[in-house]
Amino acid sequence: MPDDSAIQPDASLADLKRVFRAVVRLPFPLFLGAFLVLSFVFIALLSFFWTPYDPAAINVPDRLLPPGSDNYIFGTDRLGRDVVTQLMLGARNSLYVSVLSTTVAVTIGALFGLFVAGTGPRWQGPLSRIADVGLSLPGILVAFVLATKLGPGNTTATLAIIVWFIPVAARVTIGPATQVLALDYVEAAFAYGRSRRFVLMNHVLPNIGPLLIVLASVMFAAAILIEAALSFLGVGVQPPTSSWGRFLNEAQPLLEAAPYLMFFPGIAIVLTVLGFNLLGDGLRTILDPQQARTGIF
Amino acid sequence: MLRLISRSFFSFVIAAFMGSLVVFAMTHFLGGDVVTVMLGKEAGPGDVTAMREELGLNLPLYQQYFNWLGGVVTGDLGTSYALGYDIFDQIATRFGPTFMLTFGALLVSLPLSLALGTYSAVNVKNWRGSFVDVSTQVGIAIPSFWAGLLLVLFFSVRLGILPTGRYVPFFEDPVASIRSVILPITALSLGITSILTRYVRTAMIDVMSGDFITAAMAKGRTLRGAALTHGVRNASIPLVTVATLQLGQLVAGAVVIENVFVIPGIGRLLVVSTLRREVVVVQSLALVIMLMILGMNFLMDIAYGFLDPRIRDKQEAQRLA
Repeated sequence: MPDDSAIQPDASLADLKRVFRAVVRLPFPLFLGAFLVLSFVFIALLSFFWTPYDPAAINVPDRLLPPGSDNYIFGTDRLGRDVVTQLMLGARNSLYVSVLSTTVAVTIGALFGLFVAGTGPRWQGPLSRIADVGLSLPGILVAFVLATKLGPGNTTATLAIIVWFIPVAARVTIGPATQVLALDYVEAAFAYGRSRRFVLMNHVLPNIGPLLIVLASVMFAAAILIEAALSFLGVGVQPPTSSWGRFLNEAQPLLEAAPYLMFFPGIAIVLTVLGFNLLGDGLRTILDPQQARTGIF
Repeated sequence: MLRLISRSFFSFVIAAFMGSLVVFAMTHFLGGDVVTVMLGKEAGPGDVTAMREELGLNLPLYQQYFNWLGGVVTGDLGTSYALGYDIFDQIATRFGPTFMLTFGALLVSLPLSLALGTYSAVNVKNWRGSFVDVSTQVGIAIPSFWAGLLLVLFFSVRLGILPTGRYVPFFEDPVASIRSVILPITALSLGITSILTRYVRTAMIDVMSGDFITAAMAKGRTLRGAALTHGVRNASIPLVTVATLQLGQLVAGAVVIENVFVIPGIGRLLVVSTLRREVVVVQSLALVIMLMILGMNFLMDIAYGFLDPRIRDKQEAQRLA
């Protein structure tokens, strides 16, 4: 045992060094993306436990204070609410909508894509045509049609993003899944007596997994953008829930009186979207060098 | 060429038909009854019956669908129940501004992205290329409506050199009209130019490794000369493909931008009618916007044939075989 303890630290130190060197060699945009994304998630989660001020507190005497005022780093809005608090709650809403919509859409879309890839050439043409028609529908249009019947709100926005993303996820899955199905070891699995479903779930899915992770990262970015746009237009989240888009909507009439109000939510959106896009690009170069040059978005 | 046009037109009609079915299905099977949505929960049963009769909701579904589709084609969609305007006329008059925005944005972003992408591909190894690359990443992340707000703040509120909105129709006063759409088109072009630039860059880097570029350089052309004379035309084909895929996003962007600058286009009508829960208006607008996108897809398909003789010839070859 004493021998072991003498060797162990050195061995783990060498391991650590190797890991460290591998990490340092990763592309810089990946680091920046991961940093921005982690900060966003951290701030969104933090808002559940702590915000500088009570989110619902209205403090009219302190209304429209400029950034840098005492106690309010980013100033206050037209009802005297702290901008930092509002931004944290906005991050929470963006995180909620993007996680929910992307997870559901990638799951359904990928399963549909696997199914289409597995059906063989006769059905593949017509089925991927359906995905193509779906692709030509802009997500925002779906949101409006849904909002007319269901009423505006977070659920409508999330549903619309899901409907918009499913054909994209299916389209991204079909091609690579078909390629994997043509590989020798898949043939071997079939010859071994495995069912089509077993092969699709246990051989094809793990192989296109990296692709789906990259896709999810880019979809997070798109979901955050569209949620902001819908909330800005009044079709997304309704008061009293805070959202970056709704904050910008409220800031627009005050463009001349309090221009600072529209800076912070915009910057928050740009940094978060940039983070997810950089993360997606970086992951793509690591996980799938061949696909790196022909992205779908 | 004729073969290519007729084929593209056929798939345009099929896609339009399928799309109309999707839109119709979405408005009819989701959520509650249209009439309750329109009249509110406290409406009397008499009102509800009258409204159902008026909207033709008692007819079988397929008949409702064909009545609506016929209405879109013949220009008779009835009147808005909240504001009393003729729906078809309203949509038709609002086409101009939306068309001007989307067409203007394409006119700006296609040449600009071709130039920027080529520039960044030629300078791939130095800071100029990286600068374009980083700028496009940021450009993609900026929401178009926020860009619009910033432009208004800077050019209208601070400098006072451009109007904040107040759209002027082109045939009324061309100069004032163009001045009124400069900011909206800039805001709208930002995102799409960034996306397209990235694709042109990738395509150009790909093309530049082609044998014909090496051959051109062996003839004594500089890298830049070879890129400009031979590379750009080859790289513009993926550009058309991606631009076609981005059309939906462009129109979606126009919908948002119209609301920032209060431009009386289709997007403004869409938002106003959505908040008023005017199902027929939204449903018809959705179809019209989809037709617009599919129509532009159709035109892009034909543009392909002109840009790349190989695509045209493949069709011809298939015909002769």
